[in-house]
Amino acid sequence: MTGTVITLFRKRRRVAALVMLAVAGVLISGLVYAQNSDRAKRVGSQLMCMCNCNQILTQCNHVGCTMSAAMIKELDQRVQTNSSDDLVLQSFVQEFGTKVLASPPAQGFNLLAWMIPGIAFGAGLALVIVVIRQWRRRFELAPAGGPPVSSEMLERARRQADQETDD
Amino acid sequence: MGGGIAAIVTRRPLLIKSARNAGFAVCVLIWLSISSLAYLFVTDNFSVAYVAEHSNKTQPLFFKFAAIWSGQEGSLLFWSFILSIYVFSVLFTYRGKHPELMPYVGVVTAGVQLFFLMISNFVVNPFNVFGSPGAGAAMNFVARADGRGLNPLLEYTEMVIHPPMLYSGYTGFTIPFAFALAALLGRYPGEKWIHLTRRWTMIAWCFQSIGVILGMHWAYVVLGWGGYWGWDPVENASILPWLTGTAFLHSVMMQEKRGMMRVWNVWLVFVTFLLTIFGTTMTRTGLVSSVHAFAQSPVEPWFYAFIGIVFVVCFTAYWRNRDYLRSDNQLDSLASRESSFLFNNLILLVACIAVLSGTLFPVFSRWVQGTQISVGAPFFNKVNIPIGLFLLFLTGVGPLLAWRKTSVESLKRNFGWPALLGIVAGIAGVALGLRNFYVTVCLILCVFVTLTILQEFFRGARVISARTGSNIISSVVQLTLRNTRRYGGYVVHFGIVLIFIGFSGSAFNQDKQMDMPVGAQMEIGPYKLVHQSFDSIPETNYTSEKATIAVDHNGEQTIMLYPERRFYPSNEESGTMVAVYSTLKEDLYVVYAGRSPDTQVPVIHAYLNPLVKWVWLGGIVVVLGTILALVPNQQPVLAFNRATEPIAAGPEQSPAPLPIERRGEP
Repeated sequence: MTGTVITLFRKRRRVAALVMLAVAGVLISGLVYAQNSDRAKRVGSQLMCMCNCNQILTQCNHVGCTMSAAMIKELDQRVQTNSSDDLVLQSFVQEFGTKVLASPPAQGFNLLAWMIPGIAFGAGLALVIVVIRQWRRRFELAPAGGPPVSSEMLERARRQADQETDD
Repeated sequence: MGGGIAAIVTRRPLLIKSARNAGFAVCVLIWLSISSLAYLFVTDNFSVAYVAEHSNKTQPLFFKFAAIWSGQEGSLLFWSFILSIYVFSVLFTYRGKHPELMPYVGVVTAGVQLFFLMISNFVVNPFNVFGSPGAGAAMNFVARADGRGLNPLLEYTEMVIHPPMLYSGYTGFTIPFAFALAALLGRYPGEKWIHLTRRWTMIAWCFQSIGVILGMHWAYVVLGWGGYWGWDPVENASILPWLTGTAFLHSVMMQEKRGMMRVWNVWLVFVTFLLTIFGTTMTRTGLVSSVHAFAQSPVEPWFYAFIGIVFVVCFTAYWRNRDYLRSDNQLDSLASRESSFLFNNLILLVACIAVLSGTLFPVFSRWVQGTQISVGAPFFNKVNIPIGLFLLFLTGVGPLLAWRKTSVESLKRNFGWPALLGIVAGIAGVALGLRNFYVTVCLILCVFVTLTILQEFFRGARVISARTGSNIISSVVQLTLRNTRRYGGYVVHFGIVLIFIGFSGSAFNQDKQMDMPVGAQMEIGPYKLVHQSFDSIPETNYTSEKATIAVDHNGEQTIMLYPERRFYPSNEESGTMVAVYSTLKEDLYVVYAGRSPDTQVPVIHAYLNPLVKWVWLGGIVVVLGTILALVPNQQPVLAFNRATEPIAAGPEQSPAPLPIERRGEP
């Protein structure tokens, strides 16, 4: 009797282990489509995965992603219909909204995203120029002190300072 | 904090000492607290919710420690812990010194500690326990049989080191911030606070660099998407204070040497600190979508309030004491080190604004247009590649310009050969088939910057060699040890060059994905991959599916790779284990991507990523250079050598000694 119970218990454990392994297999493996076309890759690199992971569609492979496999399959199919890259991208925009595009479209309010770095650079450059001009003016207006120094001597002293004390 | 304020107001030495001791006590109590949490993890105390959520019995001891900072509650306590090490070190190092400054420093650091401790105590307490209602109003502790275990993505040695490094960087910037604010509030004279905080800033910067590089490497070998930098908001958050911190490390030299840019430097430190807090806010609150970020969290309003308070305090302190920061900035010439630092700061700040605005633009868009947009890698690459190249150019130019003014002759002497050889390298690259504009520019600049650095070492070593008669290698060592900050800086610049070489390789990445039943073959570049076997293996705390791939390189069997996926039943999560064959030329990066839904055949995704190893080598060189810059300069000592000719006249008949310079001798 005891032997039968132990055998039953062992069998159940074995079955449970097999079931777990099978479940694990399904969960581990995820479901991925092999994506072969270079064009699909190129267009896919301009799209985001819509699972909210903030990753590029063709790069999204994170655990538990519910979207990327289906989107990549769809992308492959749409690319095979020979429509242009723009049309393929537009079809995704129609389905998911502008959020699906990896870069904001350069129009309307979204143009600002592209302009901010340029504006920052322009404004910063203007500021640097103003600052430099102001500092230069101060230098020119500053009273010279001490005995006159020849330009050769000054250059030699600068070179020496360059070589020995520079940091 | 109260004691510190009282000490500042009353100026009583006993109160100052008491406030300092209170600072020590707070640090020791935080250490006790983190030790308690570590003990709870090690002893598998699953009555504590945080332990049960992030550990389990089968988890190796190593990862039980890593679990301390794997979740929101523990990571914020861990933040306080790292900060407490800095605060303790600062209070201890400067005990009894700088009595006008240190009470202010103590108050500022205590204020920051207070914020994080309030969060740990009242908002996300890592010591919360599971309870069930008992008799009357009593609650009974309930312990779970086992915990959920650590997130599998974090069960990786590098991930154990990466967060402490990054936190050490983030929290380390609190020290220069505290000194800057303290100097402003206390109107501490001169540039002394700059000298006091230089090393602390470099330590924080070094840790931040290590944290960022380790994070990149972890993303590369664990996340399995084939790259190391995806411009994810959390990645961006780590680079923002690094950029402003780098700007500060450069512009601070203008204040040290010339007393210039006092206002700018103070604000750079303030902004760097605010960005560290903002980065933490992004990570903790889910402000922007990220695969890294924690979900919506109760700490969000606290962080916003803290950022607001810090900004108001900084601005008020600046406004009330702005006359203290007044300096008589003068510029002798446009061709000078000073103007190169101005441009360096401009570019670093523009890079920071570009990354920050891109990261936050989806939020602005949601507010203004009511629609969600994405700002991903294509945007950041397009915007930041030119900025990065300009910065690389300045890395070569800046150090060779003299303070105050550089003559035309000096410009020719310093830049002539490096510029010429850089252009020759670019032409050679194009002749050999290089067709990518940015990569060609990068090649020219990498050659140019490397040669300018080598030239600097060579020229300095030649002078020492001529004076001491030592060989060139020993002269380079002497030169470096004589001015570690300068030459350590050059080593850091060389590390940046190596990193850029690595970045340029990404322009030539290839990848191939295909269904590969056992026996199938795939060719990518010079490699042939043969799928030899496929196994499902149950391990102690996970089950794995592993492919065995034989790799041939140009027809010769080179290596076996084992890409796998693991499933962790305790928390029902799985993780990728990438297999990488790495050489200086390229990485063969193989991922087991899962099974095909139609055929159930394993899908293998292989990438050929050129020059990736250079990024890691560059990172190591950057860190070594920073460590070198932290080493105190070796002082020259005078040794005496007998004169070769007797001196004719003089009271003493013995030959007069001639001093020669020796180093490292007593």
